Amino acid sequence: MNDPTLIGPCADYEHDLVDLHDGTLTSDRARVVRRHLEACPRCRDWQAEFAILEARLAAELPRPELSPTFDAKLQQRLAALARPPVRNDLRAALVHEHDSLLDTLRRGARRRAVLSALGSAAVTLCVLAAARGLLAQGVGLLPSVAEGPERWLMLGIVGVAMAVATLGWSAGRSGVPRLGLLR
Amino acid sequence: MAMDSGIEQHLAAGRHARAFDLVVPAYKDRVFRLAYSILKERAAAEDAAQETFVRIWKALPGFDGRAALGTWIYAITRNTCLMELRRRRPTVSFDDPDSTEAQHAAASIASGPAADPERDNLLRLVDTLPRNQQEAVRLFYLEDRSYETVAEQLGMPLGTVKNLLHRARKRLMELARPDEVKAA
Repeated sequence: MNDPTLIGPCADYEHDLVDLHDGTLTSDRARVVRRHLEACPRCRDWQAEFAILEARLAAELPRPELSPTFDAKLQQRLAALARPPVRNDLRAALVHEHDSLLDTLRRGARRRAVLSALGSAAVTLCVLAAARGLLAQGVGLLPSVAEGPERWLMLGIVGVAMAVATLGWSAGRSGVPRLGLLR
Repeated sequence: MAMDSGIEQHLAAGRHARAFDLVVPAYKDRVFRLAYSILKERAAAEDAAQETFVRIWKALPGFDGRAALGTWIYAITRNTCLMELRRRRPTVSFDDPDSTEAQHAAASIASGPAADPERDNLLRLVDTLPRNQQEAVRLFYLEDRSYETVAEQLGMPLGTVKNLLHRARKRLMELARPDEVKAA
């Protein structure tokens, strides 16, 4: 137990030496340990070394403290959390704006779709009318289409169809501001 | 804690705001010290303490009293700190004191230059301990060497804390010895 080449305390007393230092040993056990210390230089050295380490750790480990602004910062954070109505109002306003924007876009898309359909129908009518006039005259050109009211009717249909097609195409591309049909 | 009974009375009566007003002064220093023992940086510990109290403020109405108030608060603190540690980039772990990295660090600490060599070396030696031993050591001396307080704050049995501290101090004594004594 007193071999001087060994380092550290006797295994049986190791924890007791710490407890003795902490003052948590019963008086009977403390008496036994002190008696052992008188006879054991290894344990005495270890205990002295332990006491130095304890003192150094207690003195040298940092002991940081809270900054004086801790409470004020915490109150600020809590106050921000305690204002849910403001946050909810802002969120509701954003949702409303988002919804109304989507609604406008949907309406614009519907109008463009209707105008595109009208334009397509007009083009189709135009093509059909032209085809009918050409067929009625064989393979001749437009000026040789039938004479009289039938010719004027056919030209009128072609003109209206072209006007509607142009309107539809134009509205489809850029909207018709005067009708409130913005893209 | 005597203060806790007053807090718990307010909680039982549904007066959570008043209970919280008592919780902050009663626990802020201990929460901060626990956070510091885990995070090792004053500013980070203070941020974690703030975050802990915000969480407590939110969760206090749901506190059911099954655990002691302090146990509950320290558990929130530890979780907040662990989340902060996870958020940080992973670094070399010294959890195994016998690992190559830890041995290398201890050797370089013993031989490396320092502005205040004695103190600096001791602090750096503490940093080479496994994480749970570091936390126990820091907290033990911050809490005026109270094993019971450290056990409560770390959520460990008293015997486990004593064992951790014993191993930590024994290891520090070994690391701090001069090389010729180690060789012997």
